[in-house]
Amino acid sequence: MTALLQVKALAVSYGVVPAVDGVSLEIKPGELRVILGANGAGKTTIIKTLFGLLRARAGEISFNEEIDLLRLKPHQIHALGVAWVPEGRQLWNTLSVMDNLRLGGFGMKDKALLERRIEGMLERFPRLRERHNQIAGSLSGGEQQMVAIARALISAPRLVLMDEPSLGLAPLMVREVFDLVREINAMGIAILMVEQNARQALKVAHWAYLLETGRIVESGPAAEIASKESVQAVFLGGHA
Amino acid sequence: MELLLQQLANGLVIGSTYAVVAIGFALAFTVLRVINFAHPDIFMVGMFAGLVGAAQWPALGFAIAILAGALGACFVGFALERAVIAPLRGRDVLMTLIGTLGVAICLQNGMALIAGPDPVAYPALLPRQFVDIGPVALTLRQILNFGISLCLLILVSLYVRRTAFGRATRAIAERPDVAAAFGVNVARICRLTILLASSMAGIAAVSVGVLYGSASAFVGLLYGLKAFICMLVAGNRYFEGVMVVGLAIGVIEALVTGYLSSSLRDAAAFFVLIGVLYFRPNGLFGSYAA
Amino acid sequence: MNFASMTPVAIFTLLNVAMALGLYITALSGQLSMATAAIAGVGGYLAAVLTVKFGWPLLPAVCLAAIAGGLVGATLALITLKMRDFILKLTTLAFGEALSVLAFNWDYIGGANSFTGIGLKTNVWTAAAAALIAFYVAWRFDGSRLGFACRAVRDDPLAASAMGVSIAATRTVSFALGGALVGQAGAIQAHYVLVVSPHDLGFFVSLNFIIFLLFGGLQTLWGPILGAALLTILPEALRFTNEYRLILYGLIIVLVVLRRPEGLLTRMPLGSELKVLGFTLRPARPLADTPADRRLRPLPTPLVQPAKIAAQ
Repeated sequence: MTALLQVKALAVSYGVVPAVDGVSLEIKPGELRVILGANGAGKTTIIKTLFGLLRARAGEISFNEEIDLLRLKPHQIHALGVAWVPEGRQLWNTLSVMDNLRLGGFGMKDKALLERRIEGMLERFPRLRERHNQIAGSLSGGEQQMVAIARALISAPRLVLMDEPSLGLAPLMVREVFDLVREINAMGIAILMVEQNARQALKVAHWAYLLETGRIVESGPAAEIASKESVQAVFLGGHA
Repeated sequence: MELLLQQLANGLVIGSTYAVVAIGFALAFTVLRVINFAHPDIFMVGMFAGLVGAAQWPALGFAIAILAGALGACFVGFALERAVIAPLRGRDVLMTLIGTLGVAICLQNGMALIAGPDPVAYPALLPRQFVDIGPVALTLRQILNFGISLCLLILVSLYVRRTAFGRATRAIAERPDVAAAFGVNVARICRLTILLASSMAGIAAVSVGVLYGSASAFVGLLYGLKAFICMLVAGNRYFEGVMVVGLAIGVIEALVTGYLSSSLRDAAAFFVLIGVLYFRPNGLFGSYAA
Repeated sequence: MNFASMTPVAIFTLLNVAMALGLYITALSGQLSMATAAIAGVGGYLAAVLTVKFGWPLLPAVCLAAIAGGLVGATLALITLKMRDFILKLTTLAFGEALSVLAFNWDYIGGANSFTGIGLKTNVWTAAAAALIAFYVAWRFDGSRLGFACRAVRDDPLAASAMGVSIAATRTVSFALGGALVGQAGAIQAHYVLVVSPHDLGFFVSLNFIIFLLFGGLQTLWGPILGAALLTILPEALRFTNEYRLILYGLIIVLVVLRRPEGLLTRMPLGSELKVLGFTLRPARPLADTPADRRLRPLPTPLVQPAKIAAQ
């Protein structure tokens, strides 16, 4: 199966300071892969570079093993079927929920299809339907996360990049988010997730990468990574 | 009482022009994150373009002047965006300020060279008659000026709130990275925004030229500073706020001229600025986090 | 080469350099003040009033002008202490304009008709002295511990205050010192131009100084000097082009900004080197262990091996 996304020896620096140094990873259609790592390890840097928002110093990123993502602009990358759920939601807080969703499908030519998809999202998330005209900034953290995920799904992407979807949410919400992640993946959408909540993430993922100060130090099937002593000690509190 | 109403009316007329120019500044500042020093001079170019248009096709009068003004201003705005603003994107905002300042100097002095540094007579495209609205006497030109500005402001507001491009514009103003990642072609929308701001300024400029019957290469200085103050007082969170402040400052200036003294008129805007910023450092209606 | 005709240009260049250096010191703590012209004006008015109305000799008048400039600067710093970046610049702008309006309406110092009747007490050498004093002060301040503290506050106020650097003190000192330099230059200028007008205190003149700074580069001491000198001499040098003078001036500004967006003179980033004519230029303090063939340092390996924790 051709890999949906392949990253080879990616290196990204902020000025003179290297943030990501020689990272290689890939994801196949329909897979759920997770990148684990502490703050400052370079996780968000990787995602932003994937979207063309940061310039890579070295390395290759290819989509479907044929398109070079490093040459494309962010809106072109979106058009390929890649969507983003940013860290901290990053909704457009002065716009309404509906406007946020509409913008999720900005590139779509078929307006009727866009309306149907939005309707579908509101069906799936009844809480959002209640609040669909509310200003996004006034929603609770969990509701904002739902809007962020719905916004990403509007364009029916093939790959969703999620940056710490459970960050700052109450435990009940966290469980809901991970159930949602599983549900999206079950629809056949590949998910590359970046997370600090290793326990939950390793339960849903097929494959895991461990990122430490800009380098991948571990890579393997999720179950295998979860049972490694090193990971257990640092991320899982010392026991499985 | 009559003086009050008259000054109010006068103030609204002047303020409406401030508001239009200020919206141009605000659009450039929030969407492109740039202080476009040349914007008042784009206004000025529009004024002269309208003059040229009216001279070439006198039969079509005001309409052609407006069209010519809009096109002339757009042309300069487009060139400015392409040559100076886009290449400097991502750099320190003060550098773009200086770059646009350089362009402003070129435009002002270039026009002074072509048309002479003194004010030039503007064709009388509209009749000069007075109209009485109750106790207030306004000229036809004043009413039209106000009407045109109001239309422009309403159009901008509708654009920004109801259209897809307008939504994208607000998205870029708030979070440009996320907007780009959801399919918004940021460079194109920035260009569109400058074109919008420029054409608005051009149209308003022609109207002002007809109102006062003269055009000057240095007219930008007058409106530029006031419009900039309007933008600062209003904050950049809501475009409509800038409009309201523009009208308000026009009214305040008219009241100061009428009741205090005309030499304090220019200072009035500054005192408003200091006063507002002391209590609300982010402007009356707030700003984005940036 | 007619030296006599070059004198005015030389004097203005020197005075502008002095004022630009004053602004540089103020900007060192991270905030570009837009009230420079106003402070210069305060110095000018004060010195002029002292020499004309009270018969003071020049030197004490200039000293007092410097002190006044310092006080105004310090006041500005205190007013804007709690403000954030953009609003701070605006407040300095408004402050300057308020002073300008004050000058407009205060008849004792001439009001709208400007303050005239000042005796010509300065020449090229006085201007040079002002510039040299400004340079010396700026140079010593730049390299001093206080200068470093200022730069720390500029780059990251939170980190700096966590290290014990008082943002309030640093800002106040840099504003006051910068204000003093600007004030003394303004006093000298008043005694050359022989007129102090309220317009000179306005925003547009202040903007000129900011442009000098940004044009020349904010990062080193020489940037403002180069910027002020170039942009003062340029309009004069272009005089032969007559009507096109200002257009060319604007064009040159645009071109330089496009080609060198960081300003003409920049500090070299740490870890880099530049080879010019056989010499290798490196920043003054090289990193301790930079291998000669790599521009970037390798990332540090994790300090604590996870396995070690489990073993405990």
